[in-house]
Amino acid sequence: MGFDVQFGWSGTITVVMLGATKTDGGTRRISYRIGGGKTLPFLEKTPDSSAPLIAFEICDDPQNWSPIVRNYCGDKANDCGEWAKSADSVYGADMVRLYLTSTRQRNFSDIASLGKTVDAVLSSTSLPLIIEGSNEPKIDSDVFLKCGEAGEGERMLLGTAEAGRYRSIAAAAMAYNHAVIAQSPIDVNLAKQLNILLKEIGVSRDHIVIDPYTGSLGYGFEYSYSAMERIRFSALKGDADLAMPIICSAIDSLTVKEVREAEPAIQDDIAVQWEFTTGLAAAAAGAEIICVRHPRTIPLLRKAFSNLKAGKVSDGGQ
Amino acid sequence: MALKALDIYKLLPKKNCKECGDPTCLTFAMKLAGGKADMDLCPYLDDAAKSILGATTRPPVRLVKLGIGEHSFAVGEEFVLYRHEKTFYHPPGILFKIADTQTPDEIRAVTTQVLNESFTRVGVILRFNGIAIENASGSADSFSRAVETVEKTADLPLVLMTADPVALSAALTHCGTYRPLIHAATQENRKEFCALAKQHGCPLVIKAKNIDELAQLTKDCTADGVQDLLLDLSPESLQAFIVRSTTIRQLAITRSAPDLGYPVFLDASVMEMQDAAIALGIAKYASVIICTPLSSATAKAALTLRQNIYTDPQKPIQMNPGIYRVGNPGKDAPVLMTVNFSLTFFTLQGYLESTRMPCFMLIVDTEGLSVLTAVAAGKLSEMLVKDSIKKFALEDEVSHRKLIIPGYASPLSGRIEEATGWKVLVGPRDAAEIGEFLHEEWKQ
Ligand code: B12
Ligand code: SF4
Repeated sequence: MGFDVQFGWSGTITVVMLGATKTDGGTRRISYRIGGGKTLPFLEKTPDSSAPLIAFEICDDPQNWSPIVRNYCGDKANDCGEWAKSADSVYGADMVRLYLTSTRQRNFSDIASLGKTVDAVLSSTSLPLIIEGSNEPKIDSDVFLKCGEAGEGERMLLGTAEAGRYRSIAAAAMAYNHAVIAQSPIDVNLAKQLNILLKEIGVSRDHIVIDPYTGSLGYGFEYSYSAMERIRFSALKGDADLAMPIICSAIDSLTVKEVREAEPAIQDDIAVQWEFTTGLAAAAAGAEIICVRHPRTIPLLRKAFSNLKAGKVSDGGQ
Repeated sequence: MALKALDIYKLLPKKNCKECGDPTCLTFAMKLAGGKADMDLCPYLDDAAKSILGATTRPPVRLVKLGIGEHSFAVGEEFVLYRHEKTFYHPPGILFKIADTQTPDEIRAVTTQVLNESFTRVGVILRFNGIAIENASGSADSFSRAVETVEKTADLPLVLMTADPVALSAALTHCGTYRPLIHAATQENRKEFCALAKQHGCPLVIKAKNIDELAQLTKDCTADGVQDLLLDLSPESLQAFIVRSTTIRQLAITRSAPDLGYPVFLDASVMEMQDAAIALGIAKYASVIICTPLSSATAKAALTLRQNIYTDPQKPIQMNPGIYRVGNPGKDAPVLMTVNFSLTFFTLQGYLESTRMPCFMLIVDTEGLSVLTAVAAGKLSEMLVKDSIKKFALEDEVSHRKLIIPGYASPLSGRIEEATGWKVLVGPRDAAEIGEFLHEEWKQ
C-alpha cells in the first residue's frame, strides 16, 4: 500500500511482570506481562503488547474515601477482604490496588496489622495486587517490609517511590522480589531521574512502573497527558531509563467540583464518566495500568480496550 | 519539503499591492513559509508559482470553516502530532445528530438544546457546535423538511448527511448559503456532490475505507474545484480510527502526502462505543465529531477533555491580574491574595462565594502558575505582592492592612510582611477550608 507511515522508533517498552502464578512461585491465578510496545499505543499491526490493565482501588480505612464509592459499594467498603473479592468476581477488575490508609492516622504504629490486611486481601482474591504504603517517611521502612514480606513470591507492585523517599520501598521490593511504582510530578526529566536513582540502588528496570502523576480531568489532566506522551516518545526513541510501562491513577476524579456538586440523580454517572474519560485518554497517551475507584467504570473501560485491540487494521504505522 | 521565505518571495509578483492583507510581498512570503497564510490570498500568482507553492506552503492540514456567523467555527491548520510539541489550535466541533425520520418537535428540541446548553469551566464557556441531519428516510422531501426545521430554529452550523444528490440538492435550497458541511462524497457520487459543493461554496466530507482511496478522492475532488475537504475514515473499530487518524496526521504534518492534508471527520454515533469514540476523537486528531445527543454527564466530560487537550501547554488559562470582588465588600472586608492561574482563581472564588462573606481577591501575575508551582519556580515573591498592591491601588479599597495568603505560600509570609508593611495571615492550604478559616480568624 502507498501510505505506510514510518516513525523510525528504535526502543521497546520494557516488559514488567505483575503477579505470580503457581509456576512462577506464587498463588495468583494469573500473571501479567505489561509493556513490550514498539510504537504509539494501539498503533501496532501485530499486537506486541496487551490491552491496558484495569486496577480497582480499595483501602483498609475508608473514612476519607469518596462517599460516592462508599454508597455504591455499601458495607464491603469496611472490609477490605470482601471489597477485594467483589473487585475480582463482581466488578471484573484485572488487579486490586490496596491503599493502606489506616497508616495515615496520627501516630500509627500497629505494623503487624498490615501484614494481616495484606494476607486477607491475598486470600480473598487471586488477582495480582498493588499495595500502597504509608504517607509518613518515618514508618515507611517498617510498613513496606511488612507488606513485602506478607506478599512474598506474589510479585506485587509496591507504591509509591518518590524522589525524596524511595529507599525503604526499594529495599522491600528487592528483598521480596516485587515491582515498584516510581512517581514524579508531571515531568519527563524528573521521571527519568527517579528511575536512575532506583536503578543505582539496585532495582532493575523490569521491576519499575512509572507514575507520572495524573491530575484529574479538568484539573491538570492536560499536563499529565503530555507527560505520558513524552515518556512514551522518549522510550520509543531509545531512552531505556524511561522505557517502563506507565500507571495512571486520577485519584482526585471523584472529588472535583463537577463530580462533588453533581445532582444526586446523576452523581454516579458523572463520576463514572470522569474516570472513564480520563482513563481512556491516558491509555491513548501511553498508560498501561488504569486505576479506578467506581466499580461501574470497569466494564466501560474493558469494552473500549477490547475495541482498541481489535486486531488487524490496515494502514498503520510501525 | 518546506521552502524558505526568500525562495517563496522570488516566486511572488512583487507588486507590493497589499491585496493579500500583508504590507509587502516579502512579509506575505514569510507568512507562507511559516504555514500561516494561504497562497490564494494573492490574486496575481501565475500558474507556475501556484503549482510550486501549492503543495509546500499551505498549512499541512487545511483550514476549513463550517457555518457562518456567531456559531461558525474553523478546524484544521494543525502542525503537530503531540500537543507538547507546540499546541493544537482548532478544537474539534462536536455536533448532535438527528434523523429526518424524527418528528419536528424532537428535531426542534435537540436544536434548542445545542443552542442553549453551555457549561462554564475556569471562566470559559463550553458548548456543542451544531446539528448533523441524517437522511435516514431516504426521501429528499423529508430531508429538506428536517433541514428547514433546524434552520428555522437556530442558525447553527449544519452537517447534511446523505448519499443522494437529489436529497442534498433539496436540502441546500434551505441552507446552501450558510456553509453547511456535506457528508459524504464517495467514488460513486463524487461528480454530483462536487458540483453541488462548488455551486454553494460548501465544505465537503469524502469517505473511503482506506487511505489510498481517500488520497485518490481528494485529488479528484480538488480537480473538480472543491478545496475545502474533510476525511471520513469510516473506521470499523476504535483501533482502526486511531491507526488511520494518526497515520494521516503524521503524513500530513511531515508533508509526505499533501493529498491527505485535510481535517478528519468522525461519526461517533455509528461506532460501537460512542462515548469512547468521542474521547479518542478529541485526543487523536478528529476535527468534526458527530454524536447522538449526550447526557449531561457525558457532555461535561467530553467538553472538559476537549478543553484540556486544546489548552496551549505553554500557556495555562489565565486571569487578568487585579482586584476582584466577591459580593459587595466594604472597607473592612478581608483581602485574599492568590495567583492568576484560572483554575486556582475559580476554585478559590467558588469556595469564597459559598462562605457568603463579601471580600476582595488580589490576583497577582504568576504567569498562570498555580500557588505551589509558582512558589517552587520562584514566580511568586514578596516583590510581586508589593508591586501588585501598589499597581492595583489596594490601599484605597480597604481601611485595614491585613492580607490573607494561601497556605502553600506560607514560606513567604515573613518576607511579604516586611516588603509590604501589611500584616500577613496565612490561610489554609486547601481552599475548601476557607469558610471556616474566615469565620474563626477574620472577625477578631
Ligand atoms: C500541574 C503542575 C505543574 C504544571 C503547571 C500548572 C500551573 N498552571 O501551575 C507544570 C507541569 C508546568 C509544572 C511545572 C513545575 N512544577 Co509543578 N505541579 C503541578 C501539580 C501536579 C498540580 C498544580 C495544580 O494545578 N494545582 C491546582 C491548583 C488549583 O492548586 P493551587 O494553585 O495550589 O490552589 C489551591 C490551594 O493553594 C488553595 N489556594 C489557592 N489560592 C489561595 C488563596 C488563599 C488565600 C487560600 C487560603 C488558599 C488558596 O486553593 C486551591 C485549591 O485547594 C503540582 C502537584 C500537586 N498535586 O499540587 C505540582 C507541583 C506544584 N509542582 C512542583 C514543581 C517543583 C514544579 C517545577 C518547579 C518543577 C517540575 N517540573 O515539576 C516546575 C516549575 C514551573 C516553571 N515554569 O518553572 C512541586 C512543588 C514542590 C513544592 N512543594 O514546592 C509540586 C507540588 C509537585 C511535587 N509534589 O513536587 N507543575
Ligand atoms: S497580493 Fe500578491 S502581489 Fe500583492 S502584495 Fe500580496 S503577495 Fe504581493
